[in-house]
Amino acid sequence: MLPTTPDAAAAVDPAAFAAELEAWLQTRPPAVVRASEHVADYPTRVRIMQDLMQVLWDEGFVRYGWPVEVGGLGGSFLHRAAMWEGLARHGVLGMNLFEHVEVLLPTLVELGPPDFTAEHVPLYLSGQEIWSQGFSEPGAGSDLAALRTKAVADGDGYRISGQKIWTSWSVWADWCCVLARTGTTESRHRGITAFIVKLSDPGVEVRGIWQANGNEELAEVFFDDVFVPADRIVGELDGGWRVAMHILSHERGTFAWFRHNFLYQQLIEFGASSEDAPEFLLGDALLDLVAATACSANGVKEHAAGEILGPRACTNKLMLCTAEQSVQDAILAGDVDLAVGVQDELTDLMRQEYLFSRIVTVYGGSQQMQLETIAKQVLKLP
Amino acid sequence: MTVNETVEEFFLVCRQALAAVSEGSGEGGNEVLTQLGWWELPAAFDDPEARGAMFALFRAAGRENADVGALPALLAAPYLDDANASGAVAAAITRRSLRRGSVHTLVGPTDAQLLLVDTPGKGVALVPMSGVEFASVDIPGRLTLREVTFDPASAEPLLDEAAARDARARSLYAGRVALAFDLVGTAEAAMDLAVEYAKVREQFGVPIGTFQAVRHILAWGFTDCASAASAAELARDLALDPPERLGEVTKALAGRNARRACQRSLQALGGIGFTQEHDHHLSYSRALALDSLLGTSAQLTRELGTWLKAEQPELGYASRALFA
Repeated sequence: MLPTTPDAAAAVDPAAFAAELEAWLQTRPPAVVRASEHVADYPTRVRIMQDLMQVLWDEGFVRYGWPVEVGGLGGSFLHRAAMWEGLARHGVLGMNLFEHVEVLLPTLVELGPPDFTAEHVPLYLSGQEIWSQGFSEPGAGSDLAALRTKAVADGDGYRISGQKIWTSWSVWADWCCVLARTGTTESRHRGITAFIVKLSDPGVEVRGIWQANGNEELAEVFFDDVFVPADRIVGELDGGWRVAMHILSHERGTFAWFRHNFLYQQLIEFGASSEDAPEFLLGDALLDLVAATACSANGVKEHAAGEILGPRACTNKLMLCTAEQSVQDAILAGDVDLAVGVQDELTDLMRQEYLFSRIVTVYGGSQQMQLETIAKQVLKLP
Repeated sequence: MTVNETVEEFFLVCRQALAAVSEGSGEGGNEVLTQLGWWELPAAFDDPEARGAMFALFRAAGRENADVGALPALLAAPYLDDANASGAVAAAITRRSLRRGSVHTLVGPTDAQLLLVDTPGKGVALVPMSGVEFASVDIPGRLTLREVTFDPASAEPLLDEAAARDARARSLYAGRVALAFDLVGTAEAAMDLAVEYAKVREQFGVPIGTFQAVRHILAWGFTDCASAASAAELARDLALDPPERLGEVTKALAGRNARRACQRSLQALGGIGFTQEHDHHLSYSRALALDSLLGTSAQLTRELGTWLKAEQPELGYASRALFA
């Protein structure tokens, strides 16, 4: 077993960590076996993932790659990368709501209030608490700086009123990282602050959105004069734009790396295993997947060097989304049952994944916004 | 200076030197390689800096549409190494022609005295150049591509089939990665032309680069280049112990994306890009020719799919990419 004290853990390099993890995975731990089964019911998958995170915490694996101050055991993203790869290789097809471990959490750990993260990061990593993030609004999608949810100072905190939409996993979440306006509407991106809101607090209402793929992963969240103490600000007052960019930057580095592991596993398990799968489409999906992997490897290295990814990293997001769609296109082509409709638990699950891949070019900054950023900031077009 | 910085600097030096050749001033491409000290680099393949510089030449050659004899020398190096041989040897690339069957091709100009021919199943042989007949393939632009024929009786065996296998794998890998870098540079050159054009060409009273339809085509073209470049760099970094089929993936991706980037940049250029007075067609033809060597993207992509089905290989390249 891996050491679970920081001093001893410091000696475990990523390769040794990967070897320990592999030895553990070879014992077929029940939580991993369960997480690799084909379960169509989304709420059940959520519970299976929570159980998996609890076991990974108890064994110490998920504590590697995070600072000691937030319950981690030190190490780098390489430890985390090794863990995701190992889990995918042993049949785990995705982490659903724990995807935020590689989207939101790096920012929360770096810019969040230390007392708060010290208490709550361990609860997240052990599957006991769940997170969402509230960025988009009905009137602020691609134009995020137009957001209108307001935070007004009140005593030793703020009162938040407004509405968020398309927040992932708010139906299950305990906490939501909310961007709210602390300046005037005209202040655009300068007058925004990131708050940590407890979703069970009075004045918060969460309404799930039933998606076209049959899941209730997304939600609307309404805030009616919700009090948030001042020590639950991420980053600085009026510094919310930087927080949002920090999160999106991670989505193009560490998350892209995280995600490609599970896409590869799906390509093999659902695509390459089908005798009907067209070879050219399988090969083409592999090309896109390696392209996304190679792009995100550069992003990960830049993150490791303490850099925030620049506009060129928009290519990472474009390639990850392209790969996700290519993989699912190859899978669909090899299994006509998917196109027909739900016949059983497996086709139900595979259809959810296929249909979800259709929307990846919309969320987290649409494909068109990525292209526009490249056109303007990289190619310097007028 | 880090390895990456050294490689980047060498790339810029290569570009500058090759641009002068392409503009007609200075000497030929192979003389530039001599001045750059490039010929010694394939033998130093194990050193990351030398390997990085070695491959950077190919990207620069693509970018400047330069005619150099680097590829045949690089392809020959692993065979010579295993045979404890040395000297000026150029390796031919064998491809299958739909109408003419097996065709041997020599890429770029060469002063080599010996032609190396690897025939899978029969091993590797050396043929004196003096007895080789050359037939130039007409490619618009500056890339020399010659089909070669020779009398089989003049061939001297270098390695038998069993001894050739390992060198063949290394040669193919290095060659495919080199072609990927050349394809990336070629596609970047085509994109450069279109991006600059979109800034100055006006329609409806404004530069066409202000229209999103045009902007997004060009942004996709940039992404085609950037992702193929990232994959080529990954393959370069993992070259000493590459994951299975990474060479095929890298070459197929570069060929596919280079053709895409050429198509997208042509669309942005409009009619002028389809003329001989504009340089775009030179890059496009180069991309097509390079894609045909050591497996086209279409062939390789299909073969990769067949492999995925047959082997259902485990995720392997991932952690190596990161730990490299």
